[in-house]
Amino acid sequence: MAPRGAGFPPGCAVTEVHCELCPRECLIPEGGAGDCRVRVNLGGKLRATTYGRPSAIHIDPMEKKPLYHFRPGTPVLSIATAGCNLHCLNCQNWQLSQRGGEEMEQIYRADPAEILALARDQGCESIAYTYSDPIVFYEYTYDTSSLARAQGMRNVFITAAYINPEPLRRLCRVLDATNADLKAFDEGFYRSVCGASLKPVLDALVIFREQGVWLEVTNLVIPTLNDDLAMIRRMARWIHDELGPGTPLHFSRFQPQYRMRNLPPTPAETLNRARAEALDAGLHFVYVGNVFGHEGSTTYCPRDGTLLIRRVGFTVTDNRLTAGGHCPTCNEPIPGVWQ
Amino acid sequence: MRPCNRSDPRLGLGRRGFLAAVAALWVGLGIFPLAARGRTQKLLSLHEADFYRPHDLAG
Repeated sequence: MAPRGAGFPPGCAVTEVHCELCPRECLIPEGGAGDCRVRVNLGGKLRATTYGRPSAIHIDPMEKKPLYHFRPGTPVLSIATAGCNLHCLNCQNWQLSQRGGEEMEQIYRADPAEILALARDQGCESIAYTYSDPIVFYEYTYDTSSLARAQGMRNVFITAAYINPEPLRRLCRVLDATNADLKAFDEGFYRSVCGASLKPVLDALVIFREQGVWLEVTNLVIPTLNDDLAMIRRMARWIHDELGPGTPLHFSRFQPQYRMRNLPPTPAETLNRARAEALDAGLHFVYVGNVFGHEGSTTYCPRDGTLLIRRVGFTVTDNRLTAGGHCPTCNEPIPGVWQ
Repeated sequence: MRPCNRSDPRLGLGRRGFLAAVAALWVGLGIFPLAARGRTQKLLSLHEADFYRPHDLAG
Protein backbone atom coordinates (compact mmCIF):
# COMPACT_ATOMS: atom_id res chain seq x y z
CA MET A 1 0.00 0.00 0.00
CA ALA A 2 2.89 2.31 -0.75
CA PRO A 3 1.96 5.81 -1.93
CA ARG A 4 2.37 6.13 -5.66
CA GLY A 5 3.27 9.53 -7.05
CA ALA A 6 1.61 10.71 -10.23
CA GLY A 7 1.38 13.99 -12.10
CA PHE A 8 -0.79 14.98 -14.98
CA PRO A 9 -0.78 17.62 -16.25
CA PRO A 10 2.97 18.11 -15.64
CA GLY A 11 3.67 20.16 -12.56
CA CYS A 12 0.41 19.18 -10.90
CA ALA A 13 1.35 17.33 -7.71
CA VAL A 14 -1.02 14.40 -7.28
CA THR A 15 -0.51 11.55 -4.85
CA GLU A 16 -2.44 8.36 -5.34
CA VAL A 17 -2.37 5.39 -3.06
CA HIS A 18 -2.54 1.86 -4.33
CA CYS A 19 -4.84 -0.42 -2.31
CA GLU A 20 -3.57 -3.98 -2.72
CA LEU A 21 -6.20 -5.66 -0.56
CA CYS A 22 -8.43 -7.04 -3.28
CA PRO A 23 -8.04 -7.80 -6.98
CA ARG A 24 -9.48 -4.41 -7.92
CA GLU A 25 -6.13 -2.87 -6.91
CA CYS A 26 -7.68 0.60 -6.72
CA LEU A 27 -5.54 3.65 -7.33
CA ILE A 28 -7.15 6.16 -5.02
CA PRO A 29 -6.60 9.89 -5.57
CA GLU A 30 -6.05 12.29 -2.71
CA GLY A 31 -9.36 12.73 -0.87
CA GLY A 32 -11.00 9.92 -2.81
CA ALA A 33 -12.27 6.46 -1.94
CA GLY A 34 -11.72 3.03 -3.45
CA ASP A 35 -14.37 1.05 -5.23
CA CYS A 36 -15.57 -0.25 -1.84
CA ARG A 37 -16.32 3.36 -0.69
CA VAL A 38 -14.76 2.88 2.73
CA ARG A 39 -11.02 2.73 2.08
CA VAL A 40 -9.85 6.25 1.38
CA ASN A 41 -6.77 8.32 0.62
CA LEU A 42 -6.30 10.91 3.34
CA GLY A 43 -3.17 12.99 3.01
CA GLY A 44 -1.49 10.37 0.84
CA LYS A 45 -2.20 7.52 3.28
CA LEU A 46 -4.69 4.70 2.92
CA ARG A 47 -7.27 4.78 5.70
CA ALA A 48 -10.09 2.39 6.59
CA THR A 49 -12.90 4.78 7.53
CA THR A 50 -15.11 2.17 9.16
CA TYR A 51 -12.51 0.87 11.61
CA GLY A 52 -14.27 0.54 14.97
CA ARG A 53 -17.50 1.80 13.41
CA PRO A 54 -19.84 -1.14 12.70
CA SER A 55 -23.33 -0.38 11.44
CA ALA A 56 -24.82 -3.80 12.25
CA ILE A 57 -24.34 -5.87 15.39
CA HIS A 58 -26.60 -8.85 16.00
CA ILE A 59 -26.58 -12.20 17.73
CA ASP A 60 -27.39 -14.98 15.29
CA PRO A 61 -27.36 -18.76 15.35
CA MET A 62 -24.32 -20.26 13.61
CA GLU A 63 -26.71 -21.93 11.13
CA LYS A 64 -27.68 -18.52 9.73
CA LYS A 65 -24.20 -17.82 8.34
CA PRO A 66 -24.67 -20.64 7.11
CA LEU A 67 -22.13 -22.84 8.88
CA TYR A 68 -23.53 -26.34 9.46
CA HIS A 69 -20.33 -28.13 10.46
CA PHE A 70 -18.97 -25.55 12.89
CA ARG A 71 -20.15 -25.54 16.51
CA PRO A 72 -23.80 -26.27 15.61
CA GLY A 73 -26.52 -24.55 17.57
CA THR A 74 -24.25 -21.95 19.17
CA PRO A 75 -24.88 -18.18 19.15
CA VAL A 76 -22.43 -15.93 17.31
CA LEU A 77 -21.95 -12.20 17.70
CA SER A 78 -22.16 -10.88 14.14
CA ILE A 79 -20.76 -7.52 13.07
CA ALA A 80 -20.50 -5.56 9.84
CA THR A 81 -19.59 -2.13 8.61
CA ALA A 82 -20.75 -0.34 5.48
CA GLY A 83 -19.10 -1.01 2.12
CA CYS A 84 -18.32 -3.89 -0.20
CA ASN A 85 -15.84 -4.60 -2.97
CA LEU A 86 -18.50 -6.34 -5.07
CA HIS A 87 -21.65 -4.77 -6.48
CA CYS A 88 -23.93 -7.73 -7.13
CA LEU A 89 -27.21 -6.77 -8.76
CA ASN A 90 -29.00 -9.23 -6.46
CA CYS A 91 -27.30 -8.14 -3.22
CA GLN A 92 -29.38 -9.19 -0.21
CA ASN A 93 -27.79 -6.65 2.13
CA TRP A 94 -27.47 -3.72 -0.25
CA GLN A 95 -28.63 -1.17 2.33
CA LEU A 96 -25.41 -1.89 4.17
CA SER A 97 -23.00 -3.06 1.51
CA GLN A 98 -23.65 -0.53 -1.24
CA ARG A 99 -23.09 2.53 0.93
CA GLY A 100 -20.16 4.36 2.41
CA GLY A 101 -19.86 4.84 6.16
CA GLU A 102 -21.01 8.46 5.96
CA GLU A 103 -24.28 7.34 4.34
CA MET A 104 -25.32 5.05 7.19
CA GLU A 105 -28.06 6.27 9.50
CA GLN A 106 -26.62 4.36 12.43
CA ILE A 107 -23.06 3.68 13.43
CA TYR A 108 -21.78 2.16 16.65
CA ARG A 109 -18.57 3.10 18.41
CA ALA A 110 -16.91 -0.20 19.20
CA ASP A 111 -13.18 -0.90 19.27
CA PRO A 112 -12.02 -4.54 19.12
CA ALA A 113 -11.84 -4.88 22.92
CA GLU A 114 -15.44 -3.66 23.25
CA ILE A 115 -16.63 -6.19 20.66
CA LEU A 116 -14.91 -8.95 22.57
CA ALA A 117 -16.42 -7.80 25.88
CA LEU A 118 -19.86 -7.62 24.28
CA ALA A 119 -19.55 -11.16 22.91
CA ARG A 120 -18.66 -12.45 26.37
CA ASP A 121 -21.47 -10.52 28.05
CA GLN A 122 -23.97 -11.99 25.59
CA GLY A 123 -22.74 -15.57 26.03
CA CYS A 124 -21.20 -15.89 22.55
CA GLU A 125 -18.01 -17.88 22.07
CA SER A 126 -17.64 -16.90 18.41
CA ILE A 127 -17.56 -13.63 16.50
CA ALA A 128 -18.70 -13.43 12.86
CA TYR A 129 -17.50 -10.81 10.41
CA THR A 130 -20.39 -10.87 7.97
CA TYR A 131 -23.41 -9.21 6.25
CA SER A 132 -21.44 -6.86 3.95
CA ASP A 133 -18.04 -8.20 2.94
CA PRO A 134 -15.58 -8.12 5.85
CA ILE A 135 -12.74 -7.86 3.36
CA VAL A 136 -13.38 -4.11 3.24
CA PHE A 137 -13.03 -3.79 7.01
CA TYR A 138 -9.99 -6.03 6.96
CA GLU A 139 -8.00 -4.22 9.67
CA TYR A 140 -10.93 -4.16 12.08
CA THR A 141 -11.54 -7.86 11.43
CA TYR A 142 -7.87 -8.69 11.87
CA ASP A 143 -7.41 -6.78 15.13
CA THR A 144 -10.65 -8.07 16.65
CA SER A 145 -9.87 -11.63 15.56
CA SER A 146 -6.35 -11.47 16.99
CA LEU A 147 -7.65 -10.30 20.33
CA ALA A 148 -10.44 -12.88 20.29
CA ARG A 149 -8.08 -15.70 19.35
CA ALA A 150 -5.75 -14.78 22.23
CA GLN A 151 -8.68 -15.13 24.63
CA GLY A 152 -9.96 -18.44 23.29
CA MET A 153 -12.83 -17.11 21.21
CA ARG A 154 -13.50 -18.31 17.64
CA ASN A 155 -13.64 -16.14 14.52
CA VAL A 156 -15.81 -16.82 11.48
CA PHE A 157 -15.58 -14.93 8.21
CA ILE A 158 -18.53 -14.75 5.79
CA THR A 159 -17.27 -13.51 2.48
CA ALA A 160 -17.41 -13.45 -1.30
CA ALA A 161 -13.67 -14.24 -1.18
CA TYR A 162 -12.66 -11.53 -3.65
CA ILE A 163 -9.33 -10.83 -1.98
CA ASN A 164 -5.65 -10.97 -2.88
CA PRO A 165 -3.61 -13.97 -1.68
CA GLU A 166 -1.14 -12.15 0.59
CA PRO A 167 -3.64 -10.35 2.85
CA LEU A 168 -5.81 -13.49 2.90
CA ARG A 169 -2.95 -15.70 4.11
CA ARG A 170 -2.21 -13.22 6.88
CA LEU A 171 -5.88 -13.11 7.92
CA CYS A 172 -6.18 -16.91 7.91
CA ARG A 173 -3.81 -17.07 10.89
CA VAL A 174 -6.56 -15.69 13.12
CA LEU A 175 -9.66 -17.25 11.50
CA ASP A 176 -11.34 -20.49 12.52
CA ALA A 177 -14.05 -20.90 9.88
CA THR A 178 -15.39 -19.29 6.76
CA ASN A 179 -18.41 -19.53 4.55
CA ALA A 180 -17.38 -18.30 1.13
CA ASP A 181 -19.75 -17.49 -1.70
CA LEU A 182 -19.04 -19.14 -5.00
CA LYS A 183 -21.59 -17.14 -6.94
CA ALA A 184 -21.31 -19.12 -10.15
CA PHE A 185 -18.76 -21.23 -11.96
CA ASP A 186 -18.74 -18.82 -14.84
CA GLU A 187 -16.55 -15.84 -15.60
CA GLY A 188 -19.33 -14.06 -17.49
CA PHE A 189 -21.66 -14.22 -14.47
CA TYR A 190 -19.04 -12.69 -12.20
CA ARG A 191 -18.41 -9.94 -14.72
CA SER A 192 -22.00 -9.03 -15.54
CA VAL A 193 -23.77 -9.60 -12.19
CA CYS A 194 -21.04 -8.87 -9.63
CA GLY A 195 -18.60 -6.61 -11.47
CA ALA A 196 -15.79 -8.99 -10.51
CA SER A 197 -14.00 -12.10 -11.78
CA LEU A 198 -14.01 -15.78 -10.88
CA LYS A 199 -10.32 -16.74 -10.78
CA PRO A 200 -9.34 -14.79 -7.64
CA VAL A 201 -12.31 -16.33 -5.81
CA LEU A 202 -11.21 -19.88 -6.70
CA ASP A 203 -7.66 -19.05 -5.59
CA ALA A 204 -8.97 -17.72 -2.29
CA LEU A 205 -11.02 -20.87 -1.59
CA VAL A 206 -7.92 -23.00 -2.11
CA ILE A 207 -5.96 -20.76 0.26
CA PHE A 208 -8.62 -21.12 2.96
CA ARG A 209 -8.31 -24.89 2.63
CA GLU A 210 -4.49 -24.84 2.59
CA GLN A 211 -4.34 -22.63 5.66
CA GLY A 212 -6.55 -24.94 7.70
CA VAL A 213 -9.55 -22.63 8.05
CA TRP A 214 -12.79 -24.67 8.21
CA LEU A 215 -14.51 -23.94 4.89
CA GLU A 216 -18.10 -24.18 3.69
CA VAL A 217 -19.21 -22.89 0.30
CA THR A 218 -22.50 -21.21 -0.63
CA ASN A 219 -23.96 -20.92 -4.10
CA LEU A 220 -27.04 -18.71 -4.50
CA VAL A 221 -29.02 -20.19 -7.38
CA ILE A 222 -30.65 -17.51 -9.53
CA PRO A 223 -33.22 -18.63 -12.12
CA THR A 224 -31.90 -18.38 -15.70
CA LEU A 225 -28.56 -16.83 -14.66
CA ASN A 226 -26.62 -19.56 -12.87
CA ASP A 227 -29.00 -22.53 -12.61
CA ASP A 228 -27.54 -24.50 -15.50
CA LEU A 229 -27.03 -28.07 -14.25
CA ALA A 230 -23.95 -28.67 -16.37
CA MET A 231 -22.29 -25.63 -14.80
CA ILE A 232 -23.37 -26.73 -11.34
CA ARG A 233 -21.82 -30.14 -11.99
CA ARG A 234 -18.53 -28.55 -13.08
CA MET A 235 -18.55 -26.43 -9.93
CA ALA A 236 -19.20 -29.45 -7.72
CA ARG A 237 -16.42 -31.41 -9.42
CA TRP A 238 -14.01 -28.53 -8.86
CA ILE A 239 -14.95 -28.36 -5.16
CA HIS A 240 -14.53 -32.13 -4.91
CA ASP A 241 -11.11 -32.11 -6.57
CA GLU A 242 -9.61 -28.91 -5.13
CA LEU A 243 -11.26 -28.56 -1.72
CA GLY A 244 -12.20 -32.14 -0.91
CA PRO A 245 -15.40 -34.21 -0.95
CA GLY A 246 -16.09 -33.36 2.71
CA THR A 247 -16.49 -29.63 1.96
CA PRO A 248 -20.12 -28.67 2.68
CA LEU A 249 -21.87 -26.95 -0.22
CA HIS A 250 -25.02 -24.90 0.37
CA PHE A 251 -27.42 -24.14 -2.47
CA SER A 252 -29.36 -21.07 -1.41
CA ARG A 253 -32.68 -19.84 -2.71
CA PHE A 254 -32.67 -16.48 -4.50
CA GLN A 255 -35.22 -13.85 -3.52
CA PRO A 256 -35.80 -10.82 -5.78
CA GLN A 257 -33.71 -8.01 -4.31
CA TYR A 258 -32.02 -4.69 -5.03
CA ARG A 259 -31.57 -4.34 -8.81
CA MET A 260 -32.75 -7.83 -9.69
CA ARG A 261 -36.45 -7.74 -8.94
CA ASN A 262 -37.39 -8.95 -12.40
CA LEU A 263 -36.65 -12.60 -11.65
CA PRO A 264 -38.77 -14.98 -9.54
CA PRO A 265 -37.58 -16.80 -6.41
CA THR A 266 -35.73 -20.02 -7.16
CA PRO A 267 -38.16 -22.95 -7.42
CA ALA A 268 -37.53 -25.68 -4.84
CA GLU A 269 -37.28 -28.18 -7.68
CA THR A 270 -34.28 -26.33 -9.14
CA LEU A 271 -32.53 -26.49 -5.77
CA ASN A 272 -33.34 -30.20 -5.48
CA ARG A 273 -31.83 -30.87 -8.90
CA ALA A 274 -28.71 -28.84 -8.08
CA ARG A 275 -28.30 -30.80 -4.84
CA ALA A 276 -28.71 -34.14 -6.61
CA GLU A 277 -26.14 -33.09 -9.21
CA ALA A 278 -23.57 -32.11 -6.56
CA LEU A 279 -24.12 -35.31 -4.58
CA ASP A 280 -23.71 -37.27 -7.79
CA ALA A 281 -20.44 -35.42 -8.46
CA GLY A 282 -19.09 -36.90 -5.23
CA LEU A 283 -19.67 -34.24 -2.58
CA HIS A 284 -20.73 -35.72 0.76
CA PHE A 285 -22.57 -32.79 2.34
CA VAL A 286 -24.85 -30.76 0.10
CA TYR A 287 -27.52 -28.56 1.64
CA VAL A 288 -30.48 -26.46 0.54
CA GLY A 289 -30.91 -23.09 2.25
CA ASN A 290 -33.53 -20.33 2.48
CA VAL A 291 -36.33 -22.91 2.19
CA PHE A 292 -37.99 -23.41 5.55
CA GLY A 293 -38.29 -27.04 6.64
CA HIS A 294 -36.53 -28.47 3.57
CA GLU A 295 -35.16 -31.97 3.99
CA GLY A 296 -31.92 -30.71 2.41
CA SER A 297 -30.93 -28.93 5.60
CA THR A 298 -30.31 -32.24 7.41
CA THR A 299 -26.86 -33.82 7.78
CA TYR A 300 -26.57 -37.53 7.00
CA CYS A 301 -23.62 -39.87 7.43
CA PRO A 302 -22.01 -40.28 3.99
CA ARG A 303 -21.14 -43.89 4.83
CA ASP A 304 -24.35 -45.46 6.12
CA GLY A 305 -26.94 -42.67 5.70
CA THR A 306 -27.69 -42.26 9.42
CA LEU A 307 -29.40 -38.98 10.26
CA LEU A 308 -26.82 -36.95 12.21
CA ILE A 309 -28.13 -33.39 12.61
CA ARG A 310 -31.67 -32.24 11.92
CA ARG A 311 -32.34 -28.53 11.46
CA VAL A 312 -35.57 -26.59 11.11
CA GLY A 313 -34.93 -23.06 9.91
CA PHE A 314 -31.86 -21.95 11.84
CA THR A 315 -32.58 -24.21 14.80
CA VAL A 316 -30.86 -27.53 15.50
CA THR A 317 -33.66 -29.83 16.64
CA ASP A 318 -31.64 -33.05 16.88
CA ASN A 319 -27.89 -33.66 17.09
CA ARG A 320 -26.87 -37.32 17.21
CA LEU A 321 -23.14 -36.90 16.56
CA THR A 322 -20.84 -38.38 19.18
CA ALA A 323 -18.83 -35.96 21.31
CA GLY A 324 -15.87 -36.48 18.99
CA GLY A 325 -17.89 -35.77 15.85
CA HIS A 326 -18.46 -39.36 14.67
CA CYS A 327 -21.50 -41.15 13.32
CA PRO A 328 -23.14 -42.95 16.28
CA THR A 329 -23.82 -46.11 14.24
CA CYS A 330 -20.75 -46.70 12.03
CA ASN A 331 -18.26 -44.40 13.82
CA GLU A 332 -17.42 -42.58 10.56
CA PRO A 333 -15.61 -39.30 11.38
CA ILE A 334 -17.67 -36.36 10.13
CA PRO A 335 -15.55 -33.41 9.00
CA GLY A 336 -16.15 -30.19 10.91
CA VAL A 337 -15.44 -28.35 14.14
CA TRP A 338 -17.92 -29.76 16.61
CA GLN A 339 -16.71 -28.46 19.97
CA MET B 1 -45.01 61.34 10.18
CA ARG B 2 -42.96 59.10 7.81
CA PRO B 3 -44.83 57.69 4.86
CA CYS B 4 -45.26 53.91 4.74
CA ASN B 5 -42.63 52.41 2.46
CA ARG B 6 -44.28 49.35 0.92
CA SER B 7 -41.16 48.45 -1.02
CA ASP B 8 -39.11 47.92 2.16
CA PRO B 9 -36.97 44.85 1.35
CA ARG B 10 -36.65 44.05 5.08
CA LEU B 11 -40.39 43.38 5.36
CA GLY B 12 -40.67 45.81 8.23
CA LEU B 13 -38.52 43.59 10.46
CA GLY B 14 -35.63 45.96 10.81
CA ARG B 15 -32.08 45.07 9.82
CA ARG B 16 -31.38 42.62 12.67
CA GLY B 17 -34.77 41.00 12.51
CA PHE B 18 -34.52 40.58 8.78
CA LEU B 19 -31.06 38.94 9.01
CA ALA B 20 -32.29 36.64 11.80
CA ALA B 21 -35.28 35.58 9.71
CA VAL B 22 -33.10 34.86 6.69
CA ALA B 23 -30.66 32.85 8.82
CA ALA B 24 -33.48 30.83 10.41
CA LEU B 25 -35.00 30.11 7.01
CA TRP B 26 -31.64 29.09 5.57
CA VAL B 27 -30.84 26.71 8.44
CA GLY B 28 -34.39 25.37 8.53
CA LEU B 29 -34.53 24.62 4.84
CA GLY B 30 -31.19 22.86 5.04
CA ILE B 31 -31.81 20.68 8.08
CA PHE B 32 -35.49 19.89 7.90
CA PRO B 33 -35.39 17.86 4.68
CA LEU B 34 -32.47 15.83 6.04
CA ALA B 35 -34.31 15.09 9.27
CA ALA B 36 -37.49 14.27 7.39
CA ARG B 37 -35.62 11.74 5.28
CA GLY B 38 -34.10 10.18 8.37
CA ARG B 39 -30.59 10.73 7.10
CA THR B 40 -29.13 12.34 10.18
CA GLN B 41 -26.47 9.97 11.40
CA LYS B 42 -26.58 8.55 14.91
CA LEU B 43 -23.36 7.52 16.60
CA LEU B 44 -24.37 4.92 19.18
CA SER B 45 -22.54 3.30 22.02
CA LEU B 46 -22.93 -0.44 22.47
CA HIS B 47 -25.27 -0.35 25.46
CA GLU B 48 -27.90 1.47 23.39
CA ALA B 49 -28.88 -1.50 21.23
CA ASP B 50 -30.85 -4.73 21.41
CA PHE B 51 -28.66 -7.25 19.63
CA TYR B 52 -31.34 -9.93 19.68
CA ARG B 53 -33.76 -7.74 17.73
CA PRO B 54 -34.97 -9.64 14.63
CA HIS B 55 -33.35 -8.30 11.49
CA ASP B 56 -33.44 -9.09 7.81
CA LEU B 57 -29.74 -9.07 6.99
CA ALA B 58 -28.59 -12.22 5.25
CA GLY B 59 -25.51 -14.12 6.43
